Amino acid sequence: MKQKSKHIYTHSQRSSLLFLFSFFFLASVYAQKENITLTGKVIDEATKQPLSGATVHIKGTTHEVITDDRGVFGFLTGQRLPVTYIVSYVGYQTSEVTLKEGSSIEVVLRQANSQLTDVLVVGYGRQRRSDVTGSIATVSSKALQQPSSSLDQTLKGAAAGVQVTQTSGQPGGGVSIRIRGGSSIQGGNEPLYVIDGFPIYNSASSAGAITGATVNPLSGINPADIESINILKDASATAIYGSRGANGVIIVTTKKGKSDRNQITYDASYGVQSLRKKIALLDAKGFAALRNDALYDTDPSKGKYQYLTEEQISQLGKGTDWQDEAFQKAPVQNHQLTISGGNAKTRYAVSGNYFNQDGIIKNTDFQRLSGRANLDVVASNRLKISSNFTASRTDANVAPNGIVSALLTMPPTATIYEPDGSYTLRNPFENIFSNPIAALNEQKNKTTTNRLFGTASGEYTILNGLELKVLLGTDVSNTKESSYIPSTIYEGASTNGAASSGAINTISWLNENTLSYSKKFSRHTIDALGGFTQQEFQRDIIRAGAQQFVTDDLEDNSLQSGATVVKPYSDNTRWVLHSFLGRVNYNFDQKYFLTASLRADGSSRFGKGNKWGYFPSAALSWKLSSEPFFDHLLPVINDLKLRASFGTTGNLEIGEYQSLSTLTSLTYLFGNTIVTGFTPNRLANSELGWETTYQYDAGVDVGLFHNRLTLTLDGYYKKTKDLLLNVEIPWTTGQPSSLQNFGSVQNKGFELGLNSRNFTGAFQWNTGINASINRNEVLSIGNGAQQYISGNYIIQVGQPLGLFYGTVTDGILQSHEVSEKGKYTGSAAPKGGDRLYKDINGDGTFTTAADRAIIGSAQPDIIYGISNDFSWKGFDLSIFFQGSEGNKILNSNKQTLELFTGQQNASAAALDRWTTTNPSNTIPRAKLDPAPVFSDRFIEDGSFVRLKTLTIGYSVPRALLQKVKLSNLRFYLIGQNLFTWTKYTGFDPEVTSGNNVSPGTDAGIYPISKVINAGVTVNF
Amino acid sequence: MKNIVYLLSTLLVLSGCSKLNEDPESYLTTDQFYQNEQQATAAVNGVYRKLFESGQSLYNSLIQIGVEMATDDYEAGPRARNAHVRAISGLTHDASNDRMEQLWKQSYDAINTANIAIDRIALIPEGKIGTDIRSRLINEAKFLRALNYFNLVRWFGDVPIVLHETTSLKPEDLYVEKSSEDKVYQQIIQDLKDAEALPTAKEYSSSDIGRATSGAAKSLLAKVYLTRKDWQNAAAKSQEVIESNTYALFDNFADVFNVATKNGKEHIFSVQFKGNASYQGNSLASRSAANEVPGINGDYADALHKAGGLYQSFSAGDQRKAVTFVSEMVSPIDGKTYTFDPHFNKYYDPSVVGNQGQSSKNFPVIRYAEVLLIYAEALNEINNAPTTQAYWAIDEVRKRAGIAKLQDVAPNLTVAQFRDSVFQERRKEFVYEHQRWFDLVRRGADYYVATLKAAGKTLAAPKHLHFPTPQRELNLNPKLKQHPDWQ
Repeated sequence: MKQKSKHIYTHSQRSSLLFLFSFFFLASVYAQKENITLTGKVIDEATKQPLSGATVHIKGTTHEVITDDRGVFGFLTGQRLPVTYIVSYVGYQTSEVTLKEGSSIEVVLRQANSQLTDVLVVGYGRQRRSDVTGSIATVSSKALQQPSSSLDQTLKGAAAGVQVTQTSGQPGGGVSIRIRGGSSIQGGNEPLYVIDGFPIYNSASSAGAITGATVNPLSGINPADIESINILKDASATAIYGSRGANGVIIVTTKKGKSDRNQITYDASYGVQSLRKKIALLDAKGFAALRNDALYDTDPSKGKYQYLTEEQISQLGKGTDWQDEAFQKAPVQNHQLTISGGNAKTRYAVSGNYFNQDGIIKNTDFQRLSGRANLDVVASNRLKISSNFTASRTDANVAPNGIVSALLTMPPTATIYEPDGSYTLRNPFENIFSNPIAALNEQKNKTTTNRLFGTASGEYTILNGLELKVLLGTDVSNTKESSYIPSTIYEGASTNGAASSGAINTISWLNENTLSYSKKFSRHTIDALGGFTQQEFQRDIIRAGAQQFVTDDLEDNSLQSGATVVKPYSDNTRWVLHSFLGRVNYNFDQKYFLTASLRADGSSRFGKGNKWGYFPSAALSWKLSSEPFFDHLLPVINDLKLRASFGTTGNLEIGEYQSLSTLTSLTYLFGNTIVTGFTPNRLANSELGWETTYQYDAGVDVGLFHNRLTLTLDGYYKKTKDLLLNVEIPWTTGQPSSLQNFGSVQNKGFELGLNSRNFTGAFQWNTGINASINRNEVLSIGNGAQQYISGNYIIQVGQPLGLFYGTVTDGILQSHEVSEKGKYTGSAAPKGGDRLYKDINGDGTFTTAADRAIIGSAQPDIIYGISNDFSWKGFDLSIFFQGSEGNKILNSNKQTLELFTGQQNASAAALDRWTTTNPSNTIPRAKLDPAPVFSDRFIEDGSFVRLKTLTIGYSVPRALLQKVKLSNLRFYLIGQNLFTWTKYTGFDPEVTSGNNVSPGTDAGIYPISKVINAGVTVNF
Repeated sequence: MKNIVYLLSTLLVLSGCSKLNEDPESYLTTDQFYQNEQQATAAVNGVYRKLFESGQSLYNSLIQIGVEMATDDYEAGPRARNAHVRAISGLTHDASNDRMEQLWKQSYDAINTANIAIDRIALIPEGKIGTDIRSRLINEAKFLRALNYFNLVRWFGDVPIVLHETTSLKPEDLYVEKSSEDKVYQQIIQDLKDAEALPTAKEYSSSDIGRATSGAAKSLLAKVYLTRKDWQNAAAKSQEVIESNTYALFDNFADVFNVATKNGKEHIFSVQFKGNASYQGNSLASRSAANEVPGINGDYADALHKAGGLYQSFSAGDQRKAVTFVSEMVSPIDGKTYTFDPHFNKYYDPSVVGNQGQSSKNFPVIRYAEVLLIYAEALNEINNAPTTQAYWAIDEVRKRAGIAKLQDVAPNLTVAQFRDSVFQERRKEFVYEHQRWFDLVRRGADYYVATLKAAGKTLAAPKHLHFPTPQRELNLNPKLKQHPDWQ
């Protein structure tokens, strides 16, 4: 090995030796002439293997070459020594080395994913990863390269302790994120996003003019503009965000220009999305038979063929497949142009993005047009100025509420159009709902948002080591919602056209003023930070509507043309947050690290007596591998650090004005004229305050074999008390509940992050694994209450949140058992084929209210992500699996589809229904009585493993590209959600309501799709 | 250092921009309201709205669903898919039935809104509100409070009496124990006696039509006395209403439910509905309307319980039958005539075919026909036999319905026979007007159970004379005990 590093030309390739010798020869001959020959070799730091295809650039010139397959490069140049090389290589940290004498140099590159050496963006500052005392996960740059409508989508499976679930497959739709479990029952549970220093709580609001899934506000930020995402998990990292830190913090930093590297990058991709699977339903024949059976069951006197005769049924074909009519293969495309660069004093990055995604349900889509300009200027040796601004416009056509359910339940015997060409208005049977295809084709349900978002900051060096930073930020967003329901479809027939238009204007501004001080003396290093920040948010909503239009042409663009006015609505809310913050990082000899922070937050949202909260944290870490006694282990364990932290954070995600007794306006009618009334809608609570989370974290970071293998392990315990709970109070007070600080919840868990560089050199193979286990438990829900039942869920002390609470099925009643077991059907007149239920309370009879039990939990046992990245020559391949194990899903669609009423379509399971000749013990009989009973039959295993992304890329060799003046050209294919292994029978196991009391319900959710993208990236 | 001073002073200026105190711009708070006559009026308007605040609300279908389904005349229609609703219809309901919870919840919501109005209007300084209007508004709130307590006590038996605003979250303020039915009735009677001081219908201006009147208070008081079997007072109060000459029967039964004749001579107190007006239509119309007829778009969630025999009990000439039921309609879409099982038709509004949710028909809480029948019933009980006046009162109602006078066809009825006649008349007169359950229960457990069993509702039991106290309330309020029949 030593020889290698001394003599780089010991390789026995004669021809190249010859070539090199001739170089040397030439170099010596022409030494006094204009041009000199400079050579070198680029190798991997850990493996000492040569790196081929690395870019070597002479600083301050346009000279740039690529290393050959032995890692060797050479220049014939007019430059004079010393020259500085900038050497870069995909997956490695860019290195600058200066050649002062001689003509040859060996450049050692260090892999970029040896995370222990990275500089991380943390709250209000940056820190070397090796100095970090808290638990921080970094999302790999690979995850950020997939096309997606918003940055939170890229976090799926990307980091330990972060659970990301889609709330809707609507293009531009939202996701729900839980970092280390949900700690709040009724407050918000989503993390705080800090984008270029600007904190945003990502909650969608609607003006109420449209229905359906809300568009994710983060979709206005182009994911391709993001340089890095760091996820702060433990209190030591998040406590600096005080009252907003309890759900974790996601720090997003956008791309900045690099000095001396002017570069134009264009990336384009086109993809096709499709539905993962259809739900098996009855066709026209099957449905007609079911309806006949259900009608006969109710009134046998009218015969067996009350709907259609046998002959009519035999003439039916498959009928209308409503799923086929609505679901489609849909295109998605993305175009991204980035121009970046700069010089020693100024750096810039300007980008434009166009993203267009059609939905897999027809007439739904999402589009984004965004532009970003990031600028960094060194104004003087004391003053640095930086600004990051993005402007975007998003448009989405949203699937109206109830579409997916209607697609599943619309009878196949119904047609989209009547014989005369007009729409079939509705399900022709007892259960009235409208023709979903008519709704998709004709309803307008659109939302458009313009957003300007950015921060500008100045950093001034007052004394050496003492810096003042002033940051101003703003987030201005205007959303317009437009809805029109024409008179030609069922929903609009009674109103003769209904138009609604709504607008939400929000403005948030931020001012942060921080002083930072860093000082090194002998073996002590101190970094201190102190500051004052303030943020204000204001939102106003207006909504207006009209009905009774003469024509459908004007849609919602001329409300004054409607004969009937819908009552208008307006609303204006505001919140303010004032904060003082301080933090000290101290380390002794790079061995012992200490971090202590304190934040004081004053929020307008809380009661008069409780406006201010204080959030301290402390953390210690010990770098064992820096101790002398560790030296003999270093060849194996090159890095070992132990961490421990404790701190408190808060959660203030409740609406505004919750501590006040506010009044609601109502109307009544006197003299046939509308009058207004006001009544209180809340009891005042002047003591309303924060939810406080105490979090303990212990972790270890290990680097093995020169960081070939790195491992991070964390264990944590989080206890949240003073939950912001809408505590139920007796109705005799006139109010159902009052928001109080009550009760507590705990989360504890383990997280594992492992990165391995299995192969380095020409063929590279890296593996990353993350896995996390979280256990959630409700400790108290106030007032001595032991449980609280909310619909199909129960919150129970000693149990996790998200427990399903329902009846337990016990087979099917057979005709001969009616007298004996009929009381276990819940039916007043039991008959063979009724479903039997267990008598949970043992009172000898079954009722749906009294005989319920806990029948599953929506909480997963473990969630994980596994990535494998390969590269060889110009090829790269990455395979990323994501999984969840042990969680249950309430398949509410199935519950609806197993009502064999004949009033709406049913699942294909109906073919095996109980009849006198087919005495099934699992599927009940056809029956008109439509009261649905929630039972364990509709709780399914939601575990899944999914090939989340599969990327195949090919980069054209640099040698070829230089001829056409390109520095990089890569073609790629990306598949998303290509394969999923799950027992779940619904559309897709990735579903949640996003709400902490009732997670894991799949009720008519827009299914997510699988996608195949093809794209190209060009660098000029 | 100058720079720092500049920056710090900028900070101080900036920090002055935002304040932590919440001063909502688009919401009013309790402490800033109830200051003058206009606000006092709005506070009482709010109490009226609690008669049907939103969704399935008391007088906008909840009483039909939560109470009347449990009788021999009604059942959950094919579109009433909810298990709780079907449980009431089949008498399998229990203490966690959500519709019964709503009855309790919404009634107490209305009562508390009334309490706040009563307490706070009394505190408005002199000069900010006229003396007459102050006492009128307070008495309107008392009328509504009494109406809600009257419903509660009949549904649930002993119930907590709450007469003031809840202002703290302390247990002693949150938890109230039940009071005996007698105490509740004393409170109801007290409130209604106060409300007798309200203006008469004629004394109100035209823009106030629909407010509670002196006549409404007296009529409701008569009904309260009747329910208490205080026959003397029931007869006296109903007589007072009759002799006030304020009210009369419409000549035509259909006019009771015509939009054009709203708040007419027969209507004593009605819940006010108006469709297509940024307001609320009477949803009983859509709940009962046919869904078999293209273009009608009815729900058919409230259905006639055919086995009860109500439909058959109408004699051929009874004009009420055609107003009460419909079994044949012409589709506005295909022009064909459809026939079907009888549907309730009282609130069907022909001006909004296909959109019955916007029916503008009022709901009659108490009307003159009932005062006449209260009078007849009370006199019969007092004298242990029907008097001439009793015959006169019932026959006023029968005469308008177009059927023979009882005096003519059965002049010598016994007390029991006359009682049966009155109840039979009530049943036919007040179909779909939230009277049947109360009337069955007034006759006692045996009668109720026998009637329901005869109608095929075999699970009827004596405990069904009351509803169980909602389990939620028992869970939350340690001072509350379940009704003895439901323990």
